[in-house]
Amino acid sequence: MKVKCLWISICCLLVAGCWDRTEVNDLAIITAASVDKAKNEEITLSVQIFLPRALGGGAGGAGGTGGGQGKLTTMRNSNGPNIADAISKLQAKIPRQIFWGHCKVYIFGEEIAKQGLADHIDFLVRHPEPRNRAYLYISKGEGLDTLDITPSLERSTAESLREYADLHIGMAVTLVDFRNMLRGESEAAAIPIIENGKKLQKPEDIQVKAVMVGTAILKRDKMIGSLTLHETRGLLWLRNEMNKAAISVQLNGVEGIVSVNPIRTKTKLIPHLENGKWSMLVHVDTEGDVVENGTRLNLMKPELLALVQNAVRADIEARMRMTLKVLQQELQTDVVNFAAAFHREYPKEWEKAKGQWEKIFPQIEIHTQINVNIRRPGLISVPAGVPQEEIKNDE
Amino acid sequence: MSGNPRKWWKANKGRMQQKHVPSHTPLEKNIARNEEILRTLYTNCSDVVFRSFLIFGTTPALIIYIDGLANIEEMDARVLAPLMQGRGNTEWRTEDFLQKVIPISKWQEICSLEECVESIASGYPVLLIDQQEKAISIGLAKWEKRNVEEPVAEGVVRGPREGFTESITVNTSLLRRLIKTPALKMERREIGGYTKTCIIVTYIEGLVEPSLVTEVNSRLSRIEIDGILESGYIEELIEDQPSSPFPQILSTERPDVVCGNLLEGRIAILVDGTPFVLIAPTTLFSLLQSSEDYYQRSLASTAIRWLRYFFTAMSFVLPSLYVALITYHHEMVPTSLLISMASSREAVPFPALVEAMIMEVTFEALREAGVRLPKQVGAAVNIVGALVIGQAAVQAGLVSAPMVIVVAITGIASFMIPHYIAGISIRLLRFPMMLLAGTLGLLGIMLGVIMAVVHLCSLRSLGVPYLSPVGPLRVQELKDTLVRAPWWMMDTRPKLLGEANPHRQAPGMKPGPSNGGDAT
Repeated sequence: MKVKCLWISICCLLVAGCWDRTEVNDLAIITAASVDKAKNEEITLSVQIFLPRALGGGAGGAGGTGGGQGKLTTMRNSNGPNIADAISKLQAKIPRQIFWGHCKVYIFGEEIAKQGLADHIDFLVRHPEPRNRAYLYISKGEGLDTLDITPSLERSTAESLREYADLHIGMAVTLVDFRNMLRGESEAAAIPIIENGKKLQKPEDIQVKAVMVGTAILKRDKMIGSLTLHETRGLLWLRNEMNKAAISVQLNGVEGIVSVNPIRTKTKLIPHLENGKWSMLVHVDTEGDVVENGTRLNLMKPELLALVQNAVRADIEARMRMTLKVLQQELQTDVVNFAAAFHREYPKEWEKAKGQWEKIFPQIEIHTQINVNIRRPGLISVPAGVPQEEIKNDE
Repeated sequence: MSGNPRKWWKANKGRMQQKHVPSHTPLEKNIARNEEILRTLYTNCSDVVFRSFLIFGTTPALIIYIDGLANIEEMDARVLAPLMQGRGNTEWRTEDFLQKVIPISKWQEICSLEECVESIASGYPVLLIDQQEKAISIGLAKWEKRNVEEPVAEGVVRGPREGFTESITVNTSLLRRLIKTPALKMERREIGGYTKTCIIVTYIEGLVEPSLVTEVNSRLSRIEIDGILESGYIEELIEDQPSSPFPQILSTERPDVVCGNLLEGRIAILVDGTPFVLIAPTTLFSLLQSSEDYYQRSLASTAIRWLRYFFTAMSFVLPSLYVALITYHHEMVPTSLLISMASSREAVPFPALVEAMIMEVTFEALREAGVRLPKQVGAAVNIVGALVIGQAAVQAGLVSAPMVIVVAITGIASFMIPHYIAGISIRLLRFPMMLLAGTLGLLGIMLGVIMAVVHLCSLRSLGVPYLSPVGPLRVQELKDTLVRAPWWMMDTRPKLLGEANPHRQAPGMKPGPSNGGDAT
């Protein structure tokens, strides 16, 4: 009896098994994808496919160490009314099964972002293969150009874009973040913008030009404007996403520049509503190190360090105010998500006001409270390379 | 031979056991008659020597021994010389006299033909004297045996270097030298219709649960077999769950391991003719413990135990994990790793499952060949093996480089199990695991692991749960399972089946300034 059961179960396994087996060699591993606007209300779906053969493993010892020459990825695209349809057409051009599980970068063309991203995002979050943690970008011009670039440092553009996101020099927005932003109270979203791929084709271009060029501001799912890289920094401060920066300040009446690296920063939004007057207190706590001191000041003196702290405070405030001015006056879009802060603090008033939030937001009065604490003046105390007698110990 | 084999056995038992000697046949007074019977028994046995002589020139006597098993020099000097050269009177017939003349300590009088044959077979020469109904078995056995050497399969860096040999008397003496108390009991019995192999069940009275001894003895007495050539026969015949891949009885060739287990209340079974001694009851965790664990510093032992547990698990699931990930769950591999794996698998013509099977089977074949083959050609096989499952296979595009790494790690991992024999059976389980992984992916691996755990939970060794002390959980005993607690913490013995003597040592032996001299 036992033996019979065993045989039946073994047969079940072997007969049923392997039907959905896919070897890695049968997969076209997509590393990045872009969606662009095409003619006739169609879209162009472009994918960057990893070429396993190019890495030089497998056959022959000769190729074993020779990896790296030539491109490791290739780009294919096809048109269709939506992503799902475009994929099925794309599959006809690729002999291997398209695999989305490792696609970590989605790029949307500027045009299609202005038209609205909702339809496309729906596919990406509904289909089981694409990752929720994939990063979103909006490309100036068309996204597919970016996919064709051969980066010099990383294996593919997908990988370099992912690394940029990990560096947090600009916004880093994943699919799931984007969904949450759109579902939030302010219904506004921000997605980093990358340079037009056409301008980055040649290696010399890549050497000079920055890839991250700013932040796209989306109302609902439509792009309505953008922030420059400089303004993006302010947005990062406001959104409590700042973690790597160098703040360089010029002290009043002192020659030279002092640079400070904030190590720990925390931004709190404290909403206030009184007599129908909406105001917001932005509370920033930051700690940092001095990384470069171009002045003759001896920063070991607390009074002089206080000068630097004051200057940094002013700089942070200026950055935030500049960004808020653009957001409140020009774009009138609440990507900082003040709305959520008000919702939490004043739920009843929010319920009444949420219909007119677009009118209220530009009117909000901003107050700031910024604490800057410079803990360490770095490895050296007095300015380096300056004769002892030139060092100033007071103002 | 048709029909019920059991009935057939019962009917023909006598014939099959080949009892040439009728039991309890008393010796005759007439020495010529005795000689005739014995000579008929030993027809065509060229190694049996019959030496007739006259005691003091008058009484005929006969000494029978097996050439090569008896100590001939001693026999000539101490038995034949005094008996043949002495001067006789009639007084010599008393047994007291004989004992005076023959200065030998191991001396036994035997009355039956059966005992005679047994004594001869064990190497003790038998002295038959005319007009006597008793024969004398003289304890002058001597045969070639191996010296006590370091065990090959169970090496240690720190610890005793002696191992058991093929001679059971040497083995018992090794045990007796370590445990000197008279409470160390050794019950002797013979099993095997033809081989009459000597089996000794040993335990420490007062520590062992008496019912355990009864159980072992009753299981041993069930055995009716032609011959026992190795303790493996006994092991398979007394196991609780014979069809399980896991060994439920530990075998070791180290006296210190046996003694350690005896002191924990277990039973050891020594079998003549093999250096491997059985220990029961056994748990899964004792298979994963080495004697060196107890000699090293406890911290190091704990770390090594964890390493061993981890790699044991690895040897069980690593190839199947690889197969499952690469055939079904590509999204679970980090991108850059998948890309590397994809490029190395690019030229491989087989599916991952087939690739893994080929490599694992090849590895097993190489291992087996390495054990069997004559030492002179060992180097050749090593070189060929290194090529087959190494660089050449990868370069030929038959297997991928990651697969070679997986197979190598699995191979190393399975040898981390200190008991080689146990290692093999655990290692073989990875083949069904690979099949499950190849057909059902991670789900299949989970299924396999669950089946293995359920099976392990249901296993018992002489009634002791195989997974104890983890399942059923006995927190007290985890000190010697999850970790190896320092000796001053090992106050209690494992409970096993009962609590014959729960305390191993005085509590509070932790060394320290407050604990020197007048301990509280």
